[in-house]
Amino acid sequence: MDLFLNLALNGLATGMLIFLLAAGLTLIFGLMDVLNFAHGGLFAWGAYSGLWIYGKTGSFLIGIAGAILTGFLLGIITEKWIIKPVYGNHVQQILITLGLMLVLSEMLKVIWGPNQITATPPDYLKGSWELGGVIIIKYRVFIILAGLLIYTCVQFLLKKTKIGLVVRAGVMNKEMVQALGINIQKVFMFVFMIGAGMAALGGVLLGPYSGVIHAGMGMEFAILAFIVVVIGGMGNFSGSILAAILVGLSGSFMAYYVPDLSLAVNMLLMAVVLIIRPQGLFGAKG
Amino acid sequence: MKWLRTNKGTTLFWIVAAFLFLLPFVYESRNLMILLTQIFIFSVFAMSYDLLLGFTGIVSFGHAMFFGIGAYSIGIFMKRFEPTMLNFLLALLATLALTALVSFLVGLLTLRLKSHFYAMLTLSLSGLFLVAAEKWRSLTHGNDGFTFRVPEQFIDRTDYYLICLLIIAAVFMMLKRFTNSPLGRVLQAIRENEQRTESLGFHVLHYKIAASIVSGVLAGIAGILYAMSLRFVNTSVFSMDITLDALLMTIIGGVGTLYGAMIGAGLIEFAHDWLTGLAKEHWIFERWIIFFGIIYILVVMFFPKGIVGTLRTITWKRKKQQAVKKKEKLAG
Amino acid sequence: MSELLQLKDIETHIGQYHILQGVSLEVKRGEVTVLLGRNGAGKTTTLRTIMGFTPASKGSVIFKGESIHTLAPYTIANKGIGFVPEDQGIFSGLTVEENMKVAMQKENTETLKRMDWILELFPDLKKFWKKPGGLLSGGQKQMLAIARAYINENELLLIDEPSKGLAPIVVEKVMESITQMKEQRTIVLVEQNFMMASTIGDRYYIIDDGQTVSHGTMQELKENEEKKRKYLGIA
Repeated sequence: MDLFLNLALNGLATGMLIFLLAAGLTLIFGLMDVLNFAHGGLFAWGAYSGLWIYGKTGSFLIGIAGAILTGFLLGIITEKWIIKPVYGNHVQQILITLGLMLVLSEMLKVIWGPNQITATPPDYLKGSWELGGVIIIKYRVFIILAGLLIYTCVQFLLKKTKIGLVVRAGVMNKEMVQALGINIQKVFMFVFMIGAGMAALGGVLLGPYSGVIHAGMGMEFAILAFIVVVIGGMGNFSGSILAAILVGLSGSFMAYYVPDLSLAVNMLLMAVVLIIRPQGLFGAKG
Repeated sequence: MKWLRTNKGTTLFWIVAAFLFLLPFVYESRNLMILLTQIFIFSVFAMSYDLLLGFTGIVSFGHAMFFGIGAYSIGIFMKRFEPTMLNFLLALLATLALTALVSFLVGLLTLRLKSHFYAMLTLSLSGLFLVAAEKWRSLTHGNDGFTFRVPEQFIDRTDYYLICLLIIAAVFMMLKRFTNSPLGRVLQAIRENEQRTESLGFHVLHYKIAASIVSGVLAGIAGILYAMSLRFVNTSVFSMDITLDALLMTIIGGVGTLYGAMIGAGLIEFAHDWLTGLAKEHWIFERWIIFFGIIYILVVMFFPKGIVGTLRTITWKRKKQQAVKKKEKLAG
Repeated sequence: MSELLQLKDIETHIGQYHILQGVSLEVKRGEVTVLLGRNGAGKTTTLRTIMGFTPASKGSVIFKGESIHTLAPYTIANKGIGFVPEDQGIFSGLTVEENMKVAMQKENTETLKRMDWILELFPDLKKFWKKPGGLLSGGQKQMLAIARAYINENELLLIDEPSKGLAPIVVEKVMESITQMKEQRTIVLVEQNFMMASTIGDRYYIIDDGQTVSHGTMQELKENEEKKRKYLGIA
């Protein structure tokens, strides 16, 4: 029971981190038809910048805020200077975002050096609780709560605010949104900014969880996030959290029982989805 | 003479090839030989990538997996069995079969969907191959990799240089014919307008899969050559960097031209060699790839045809201007 | 100045195709101008060019004395042009209410007054207020699309084939609503259904092969059998 719970919590925590990355990918894809291969780079940038600020200020929360801010900033720059100039050309877009991924991760090495950097949670999130003989690691619970909080906030944003309404309308019919007098470019930038912010948050949260960060972590997590985006349905925000939890849990349990096959199982899952339901497991986009 | 004029590119290619063929007999430099061999190998790899990206309009982010399959096939065969010609041929056969199978399956899965899916699936799948190579230690010795011996025919550096030169010429000629064949024309039609090609009655999926198989197999061959030149293989052959190399080479050199892939390969390998040498002077050169990343982005944005394509457009425009001027002269 | 909208020698390319090759028209305030012509003649493209979705490569579009053909679609919309596309452009996953909310630029008393008026005109929308737009019938979708275009202070409405694919009884309803709207709005209508076009139209333009080939008052066209036969295939 102890083991099961721990594996489940571990899987949920990893799932939340993947969700933070995948959510932005799927939102951006749904609205703009752009699959951002540089998203993992934003994730890694969140980790490096956030932990650097955390180290300088001594406050983890300021670090997190800094990471999100970095994400926002990079998101705006990316949308404006990288994505927008090649808008409408799929091949160019895919190619250019991967180029950006390369530049982003090389820049990390230029600024913070090529070696990995260690990270620990702040004191109040260190250690664990014991509940009826079961040991629960605090930081994992923190990540799960943070993920759920972000999910709720974005859900609120999408469902209850005007801009969220416009985003959802834009996913269904971009042209009509413009015909109603709305500047879709601004909406694009907003969504890109939010997506990048979530990715950066995922990155900084991952640091103390895995203990080390390195420039290649962006790509590693991006691969999982792509799997999640396919399973959840491209453009489906609610689908992305379910799929992320699924991938996180399967990864966690597989890693314990058959460690060598954990990525393979997720890949297999993705292949099956691609064959039987390319629109994703969880309903239509929206 | 007329043939020469209409096939300027091919002529130039043969002149350069002849020059490169004579080079080892007049100028002996082991380092240059190794560098050029490397360029030949990556030219083959980049041309195989160009067939997908430039001629068919398919974006793959996992080309490293075919390269890696080739490299590991030869490595494992040579290590486990005697390094004989027979085993070399068996390794070649294994590479052909494996790369064809993998590219066929990936193509079947995703080539009917939007271009994003193929890019994504190939990216993740090559990630899977990388993990597999790390984990299956009994076969691959994990991250550390292993050295192996090669058949005696391939030991001499100059011989190997000439063999690689021969192969790049053969691959170039083959791809040239392939892309000019009716099949190649259909591929280019798919790149220009997939729906229209489909509505003309071509089964687009079949053609795309055919292109991805040919491309995968050639990438596998490049992988074999690469591993044999180092007589060593480790997990880096499956890494994203290899795919990025192919991307940088074809995009910067110019997509859809074959020449571009070769020029790109030469440019990047030379720069690699030169800039890592400069790393002793300043550490920033350790990160030489960042320059190419930035150049790559600029090329995608402003010169999507790359070096060769852009040069072609310029000369074409100049010719047109000259023609106009001539006409004006005649009229005036 | 009685012209609300003027198109002068508009030429539009879509990809390599030269779709509009000289469209000129004048839309007078308070009138319903109908664009007629065969399928594929360029009527829809004319509306989309006015909206800026397929920008003109030559010529000019002048709205309220200001040329708008270089502006982005959303700016054009904000100048006071409402657009009802051929496929109605309903946000199918959003409810009727949300569809209206996306369209509403200001939520002041004026807008609310218009909302009351439009819900009176289209009681069905009120009935399905909380239902997803995708579940509406064809006629109801058309009503929702018209309502969205009407809800802002748009002086001009561009409506593309409102009768398309609707049952005759529903067509009548839509027609009636457009007739009522006519008192408050200037309307450009693309319509294949000549019966409908001739009933509510004041003025007509015939577009053929991407060019405006004939125009005049609707009364003239009704009496001109030859023109009807030549361009519209009506005997």
